[in-house]
Amino acid sequence: MSAGDRRALILLIAGFTAWSFGFVLLYGLQALGCAYDWPAHRAILIAAYIVTLAPLAWLSLIKVRAEGEPASVLALSALWANRAALAAGVLTFFPATFASACI
Amino acid sequence: MTGKPSPVRLHKDLETIWKTPPGIARLSSVNHTILGKRFMLLALIFFAIGGFLSMLIRAQLATPHSAFVGPEIYNQIFTMHGTVMMFLFAIPMLEGFAIYMLPKLLGARDLAFPRVTAYGFWCYFFGGSILVIAMLAGVAPDSGWFMYTPLSSRPYTAGINADVWLLGITFVEISAVTAAIEIFVSILKLRAPGMSLARMPLMAWYMLVTAGMMIVGFPPLILGSILLELERAFDLPFFDPTRGGDSLLWQHLFWLFGHPEVYIIFLPAAGVLSTIIPVFAQRQILGYRAIIAAIVAMGFLSFGLWVHHMFTVGIPHLALAFFSAASALVAIPTAIQIFAWIGTLASGRPRWDIPMLYVFGFFFVFVIGGLTGVMLAMVPFNTQAHDSYFVVAHLHYVLVGGFVFPMLAGLYHWLPHITGRQSVYRLSIPAFWLIFIGFNVTFFLMHLTGLMGMPRRISTYPSNWGWDWLNLLSSVGGFILTMGFSLVLVDMILQFRFGRRFRRDPWRAQTLEWAMPTPPTDYNFASLPRVDMRADAIEPAPLGPVLASGEGYLGFARNNQQETLAVDMMTGVIEHIVILPRRTYLPLWTALATGGFFVSLLLGHYWLAPFFALLVTGLILLWPASLGFREDQGPVPIGRGETAPFDAESTSNAAILANRTALVTNATLFSSLLFGGLFLIVVAPNWDSAPAPLVPVWLSILAVLAAVAGGASAFFARATNRAGGAVTGGLAGAVLAQGIATAAFLAIMAGMGNPTAHASIAIAFVTLGYCALHSAIGAVIAGHALWRKHQGYVSARRATDPELAFLWNGYAGITAVFGAAMALLLGGIL
Repeated sequence: MSAGDRRALILLIAGFTAWSFGFVLLYGLQALGCAYDWPAHRAILIAAYIVTLAPLAWLSLIKVRAEGEPASVLALSALWANRAALAAGVLTFFPATFASACI
Repeated sequence: MTGKPSPVRLHKDLETIWKTPPGIARLSSVNHTILGKRFMLLALIFFAIGGFLSMLIRAQLATPHSAFVGPEIYNQIFTMHGTVMMFLFAIPMLEGFAIYMLPKLLGARDLAFPRVTAYGFWCYFFGGSILVIAMLAGVAPDSGWFMYTPLSSRPYTAGINADVWLLGITFVEISAVTAAIEIFVSILKLRAPGMSLARMPLMAWYMLVTAGMMIVGFPPLILGSILLELERAFDLPFFDPTRGGDSLLWQHLFWLFGHPEVYIIFLPAAGVLSTIIPVFAQRQILGYRAIIAAIVAMGFLSFGLWVHHMFTVGIPHLALAFFSAASALVAIPTAIQIFAWIGTLASGRPRWDIPMLYVFGFFFVFVIGGLTGVMLAMVPFNTQAHDSYFVVAHLHYVLVGGFVFPMLAGLYHWLPHITGRQSVYRLSIPAFWLIFIGFNVTFFLMHLTGLMGMPRRISTYPSNWGWDWLNLLSSVGGFILTMGFSLVLVDMILQFRFGRRFRRDPWRAQTLEWAMPTPPTDYNFASLPRVDMRADAIEPAPLGPVLASGEGYLGFARNNQQETLAVDMMTGVIEHIVILPRRTYLPLWTALATGGFFVSLLLGHYWLAPFFALLVTGLILLWPASLGFREDQGPVPIGRGETAPFDAESTSNAAILANRTALVTNATLFSSLLFGGLFLIVVAPNWDSAPAPLVPVWLSILAVLAAVAGGASAFFARATNRAGGAVTGGLAGAVLAQGIATAAFLAIMAGMGNPTAHASIAIAFVTLGYCALHSAIGAVIAGHALWRKHQGYVSARRATDPELAFLWNGYAGITAVFGAAMALLLGGIL
């Protein structure tokens, strides 16, 4: 397996893996903030939202110039998957900026 | 191996090595074709049982004030209907299909671990039998297929009904986890030479992602079942809010599995559609790369939806919005696939045949199910429709549309492959229309009964609420549906008996499974193909005879060995020859011993369970006894003028990858346990005056240091072995260190206080028990590697055993750190 092949395979799942970590981070911060009554809860959630989107945005811009199979095929699938992950992150985490965090 | 054998001679030689004799010897079979068919046949029997139960449900609900069965029996019937259909039909059916089909699609002779396939089948058979026997004895589970606590807790379900579910399903899930690991590894390693990931047929991509989802999706359910059984059997209060537990923890653990489960069922069916549609459209599938991206997206997104099953339990708006958005979003990658299929049909030259009728049925039913899914993803509507028959209608449209219709299409497409005969079609068309009409009459009307307020799981209802005629029509539709399935069964039998024989590739398909004799031989291919193009664009008809004449790889018999090839997981470059184990009764004995463990727990003979656990361990240690070589062999011929080493001499072999994958499964279970502990600390009531577990710091440090030292010692042994040095010291050190760690963890557990007093002590107790178990496993595996070394199976080239010892001892060291930290946190020390 060449370095290009490995890179393409990692990129294929990188975006949604980052999305998953972001999901866990935001859901965890929401629960902890409510349980321990954090005064800056909203600010922390918004900061986490931005921090989570940063790697997703970076991944969605990476265009691997891979030559030969399988890297060339997977690189394009990876680009689409990572852009989808960014869109998913923007949409699913957006409520962190406005929705009531605690009951 | 002198000279090239004739095709007939080659066939006879391979048949002698690979065949499973008839009679009682069939029980020793480890062949994927036989076991795949067995999985599917048993799944169909359970489908019939589940279908029969659904008929009882519809008979009960056909009229108001029904006295057909009482509420106690009705509870068992609907619980068993859901349990059987989800755990004993849908998952095993997809496993059986993958087990039968994947090696054939990928150009291999079998899966990577044939004995694991057999062990999984027997666990499925015995575990499913426990549930059915319990039902016949009148003690079936009766708390709903998702077994919500506190209803399923001891105070509200005093008998063994819930234990039957928890232990029986956990037993069955062994087969799901083993199959997932085996499918994952087989797709990555056991492909035809030249078949890179980007040349795989889409079916393999779907199964790869599905297996990955099962690897991380099933552990939360298994953990939840273990915790609930510990609560029921030993009163450890994980879900009891009066002692620091929380019922919502069960719901989180169940749906962390339960929602991805829907996609675990759908994705293989989508793989079937992506394989069949291009055949009948007579063109390659559109959007191969977009579909790969969509499958990956679905695989991940499906893990971010689970709380939409819990929208009404009292969750903040923010969390509701997270899960609502993710639930709606998952429709997009689904739609990408549906448009790719429609586009393939629109741009091809579609020919209509029976499989295409079911593809049409899929489109119609699944799209309706998907649309009602988007409706239910919206919190306000979900709150209104929650626990009503609208949800029953939705889930049946999704599951039957997304699994049963595609699988029926697959059945008609691939049954000729199994039987060697084609359908005569006299019954196929009326059977389809009975199923299609019967299904829609039954379940479309349930949308209306649900919107009119009829709740799920009620055994009877009054006659003045406007539900009467809708329920009666649903019941009529249900019986029409059953007639349709009965006709399919008759049609299958007729095809086996009277179907037309055919020569090769009757559908003019373009995948490798049709480049072999049908019905398939036990060895699949007389020689293995080289794939230099997309594997869904080959021509099986001319390729088949070439492979049958031994022109491909491994077109010979050698040393009575069952051989196939392993490749680099990305590029498809040949790596090594895999020697697959031959038939044996060991998987059957091991499954029986595993069954003894579960039955002794079920009957309350807890003292007996450890003996069965030891027996299982001993039997599993016998499995590798005959594997490997006592001398280095070096590269040997594989045909076409090429050579490759045997798997024992490769450090990237399937056994190592499988153990890494198993550790990922294991780590998911451990993470779920840590999540459970943190969830209770943060969310559960009655923690203000919780008793803290007594966790001595010095003993914790000793346990952690010993477990980490075990990992380091195994690492040292592996490095020394690679350099050609002695491994005995390193492995013996790992055994000793892990033994000390196990004893230290057990000592902490013994003195930490009463684990039934509060969830704080119970969580610490179970977490450290997990660490103790894994230190003990590390010691056993290091000891086993030591024994293999002394038997002569280990050298610098034959390094699998030290590698496995390092993996498991390293894992034990890592879990010891996190486990001890959790216990110290609960003890108020951190």
